[in-house]
Amino acid sequence: MIALLDNLKTHLPFTLLDNRSSKLIEETAQIAYYPENTILIKSDEFTHTLFLIIKGAVEAKDNEELIDIYQTDDAFGGIELIEDQPSRYEYLVTEELICYEIPEETFLTLCNDNKAFKAYFFSTIVERIDMLKEKRKHANVADMMVARVDTSILHHASLVEAHMPVVEALSQMEKSKAVSIIVKNTDGYGIVTDADFRKYILRKKEDDLSEISQIQTYPMISIQEGELLFNVLLLMTEHSIKHLPVFDKNENLLGVLEMIDLLSFFSNQSHLITVQMDRAEDLSSVISAAKRVEIMISALHAKGVKSRYIAKLVAEIKKKMYTRLFEMIFPSTWQERCTFVLLGSEGREEQILRTDQDNALIFEDGFMPKDVDEVTQKFIAALDEIGFPRCEGNVMIINPKWCKSLSEYKKDIHQWIEQPSYDGFIDMAIFFDSMAVAGNVSFHKILQAYLISQIGQQKHILPHFAKSIDSFESPLGLFSRFSSGGKGHENEIDIKKGALFALVHGVRALALEYGMTQTNTTLRIKTLNDVGYMNKEDAQDMLEALEVINTLRLHAQLEKLEKGKEMDNYICVTTLSKLERDVLKEALKTVEQFKKRVSYHFHLSMVS
Amino acid sequence: MFETLKQQWNRKHLTDERFTFLFEDTHEEEVVIFDCETTGLNPKVDDIISIGAVKVKGNKILTDQAIHIYIKQENEINHKSITIHQIRNCDLEDAIPLNEAIEKFLYYIGNRALVGYYLEFDVAMINKYIKPMFGITLPNKKEEVSAIYYDKKIATIPQGHIDLRFDTILEDLALPKLQAHDALNDAVMTAMMYLKLKQMKSFKITRR
Repeated sequence: MIALLDNLKTHLPFTLLDNRSSKLIEETAQIAYYPENTILIKSDEFTHTLFLIIKGAVEAKDNEELIDIYQTDDAFGGIELIEDQPSRYEYLVTEELICYEIPEETFLTLCNDNKAFKAYFFSTIVERIDMLKEKRKHANVADMMVARVDTSILHHASLVEAHMPVVEALSQMEKSKAVSIIVKNTDGYGIVTDADFRKYILRKKEDDLSEISQIQTYPMISIQEGELLFNVLLLMTEHSIKHLPVFDKNENLLGVLEMIDLLSFFSNQSHLITVQMDRAEDLSSVISAAKRVEIMISALHAKGVKSRYIAKLVAEIKKKMYTRLFEMIFPSTWQERCTFVLLGSEGREEQILRTDQDNALIFEDGFMPKDVDEVTQKFIAALDEIGFPRCEGNVMIINPKWCKSLSEYKKDIHQWIEQPSYDGFIDMAIFFDSMAVAGNVSFHKILQAYLISQIGQQKHILPHFAKSIDSFESPLGLFSRFSSGGKGHENEIDIKKGALFALVHGVRALALEYGMTQTNTTLRIKTLNDVGYMNKEDAQDMLEALEVINTLRLHAQLEKLEKGKEMDNYICVTTLSKLERDVLKEALKTVEQFKKRVSYHFHLSMVS
Repeated sequence: MFETLKQQWNRKHLTDERFTFLFEDTHEEEVVIFDCETTGLNPKVDDIISIGAVKVKGNKILTDQAIHIYIKQENEINHKSITIHQIRNCDLEDAIPLNEAIEKFLYYIGNRALVGYYLEFDVAMINKYIKPMFGITLPNKKEEVSAIYYDKKIATIPQGHIDLRFDTILEDLALPKLQAHDALNDAVMTAMMYLKLKQMKSFKITRR
C-alpha cells in the first residue's frame, strides 16, 4: 500500500500493531499539509485526531514556555485522546508540516485492542530507554565481530629445535614464561602444550620418548596476524584447540593466542588489561596496556553496557595505571610524603575516553624535593605517550599551582571562599571533585575535610558558586531548527554545554552544601535522595538523564575516534534514531527541571 | 469558449448514459490526483498495468479513499517494463478486467478536476480505452503539476532553465521521497507537490 504507512510500521509504538490494526489505519488515515505557524491544537481545545509527523516540526507550548518538540515519526495528541481531555498546550507548526491524521475513533479502537500500544503513550523515559537498549544490543553486535588479531593479546611462545630433549625444552619454556612450545621441524612447525606433557609423563618409558618432536602435535593449525577474531573463535571451536600460534606475513612466529583470552575479549578486555598492568615491569608495558583501554570501551559500548558501568571499569583500570606509574616514576622516598590526586572528570570517575587530564600533587609540609620538576615532567610525558591530551586549563602536576604543600592548598581554599571570584570558583569546583589515587592519601582527606568545613561556615557563597548552571541555554529549543551548534556544527548540539554541565554542576553545588565526600555524580545523586533532598523518582530520572547523555556522547565520540576526527562533545541530532531522539529530549527536559529546582533552592534569581 | 465547444462535441458522442456525471459542472472542493503504470511510453501500443488515484480536499490528501487498481493483462508483461515498475505477472493476481477497471476509475473521478505529473500521458492512456468503450475522451478539467511548479519557479529565476524532473521537483519542494515506486505512491507524492504548490504564496528556497 502507501509506502509512508509501511515506514510508519517501523517505529514505536506502531511496531506493536498487528496487520489488522495497520489496515485500519490505512483505511481511515489522511495526509495533511500545514504551512508554518499554523496552530494545530489550541490550548483548552479537544483534538479529534492523532497527529503523526511525516515531515516538519511542531512545538507544544504552555503560554510562552516550550514544553516539547515533535519531528519526523513523532506522534502527538494521543494522551489527550485517551484521557478525553482538552489539550493543556498549544501545538504550533514551526516547520512546514506534512503529517498523518489518524481519526479519534480509529486511535481509540487501536488502544482498546492493544494494551502495549496504549501504554506506550504513557511510558516514562526509563521504559523508553530500556526499549532503546534492547535495540542497540542487536544493532552493534556486528562491531565485536570485526575486531582483528593483533600482537597485544598474544602470549609468548618458546621456539625450539625438533631434536631438543623434552626436559630441556620444558625448562626453556619455564624460563621464558611461555605458555606453549613451538617445535621447528624440517618441514613446518608443531606445537607442544600441557596436554602433550601429560602424555609424555605417562608414556615416557613405554614409547621411549626423549625428543620434543616426539610429543608434538604436528602438523599444527595456525593463523596469520590480522585475522578476524571471530573467525579465530570459529576455528578454535571447530578443532577444539585451546592454543593457536600466530605468524606474521613472513612466517615469523609472533606468539600464541589462548582460547581463554579470546573468550574474555568477547566478554570484555578489562581482565587482560589489569593483569598486564599488574605484571608490568617497566613503563612501556604499563603504557601499552593503558592504550588498549579504548578497545575495551568500544567493545563494552557495542554490547550495550551502561556507560556508568563502563566509566566505573575504566576508573578502576586508571587507578591501577596511575598507581603503577606513580610507583615507577616517583622516587620511593617521596611516596609516603605526597599524594597524587585526580581532579575534574577523572576525579569524579566519569571520564571514559581520554579527553582530558586533571591531576595534582599534595606534599607534606616542609617536604619539597629539588627535582620535583624533572619527576613530574617525566610523569606527564608518560601520559602524553598513552594519549592523554594535556589539560587546557593547565591543571597538571607540572604546574606549580597544582603541585605544592598541604598548607599552601589550604591557603587557596581559604581564598576561594573569602574572596570569591570566577577563577576561584572554577578551581574550587575542580578541587571538590578530587580523588586520591596514590601516595599518602591522608593529605587529601585533610584538605577535603577542610574545604567542606569552610563551606559549612560560609554557606552564603553557594548561590554564587551554583550560578553558572545558567551559563548555557538548553538546546531543547534548537531541536526544531537543526542549525544549532554554530559554524561547522550544523545539526549538532553541544551536549556538555547544553546539559551535562548544568547537571554535574548543580549536583556538585548541592553536594558541597551537604558536605558530601563522594565525587561521582551518580553517587552524589543517590546521596541527595538518601538525605531527603529529592525523592526516589526524581533521583531515578536524573540518573537516567545522565546515562542517556553520557551514552549518546560516548557513542558520538567513539564514532569520531574511529574516523580519526577530533573528539568533542557534539551530538549530531539528525542521525539519531527516533527512539534515541525521544530519550534525549526527555533527558534534556529532566535537566531543565533540575536547573529550575537548583535555581529555586539557591534563589539564583536574586544573585547577580 | 473553444474548450466549451469541444466538450459539447465530446458530450454528444457519449454512448453510455451512466457516465453523464463526467460532464457535470466541476466539483468545487475535491480534485483527483492519479498516475498510471504502463508497459511502455507509447499510448498507441502500450497498455496500462495499474492505476493509482487519490483525492485531495482542502489541505488534505484523502488516503483513506485512495484506490489502487491492477488490470488483467492480455499479454504477458515483458521483461523490460518489469525492471521499471517491478510489477511481475504474479503481482497481478488481484487484477481485474480492463473494462471493470476503467469504469471503476470513472466512477472514482466523477466530475472532479484531474491533477498529475505529465498528466497528458496518463490522460491519453485512459482516453485510448474510453474512446472505443463510451465514445468520449476525459472531459474533466486538467491541471499539470509541473506547470504549476514552472509558473512559481520562473517568477524567481526569469529566463532560467527549470528542471522539471519528478525527483528534482520533489527535492526542491523538500518533500519526502517514498521508496516504493508504484502508481499509488507516485500519486501520493504528486498530491503532496500539488498541496504544497497550491498553499505556497511565493517560491522561496525551502531546501536547507
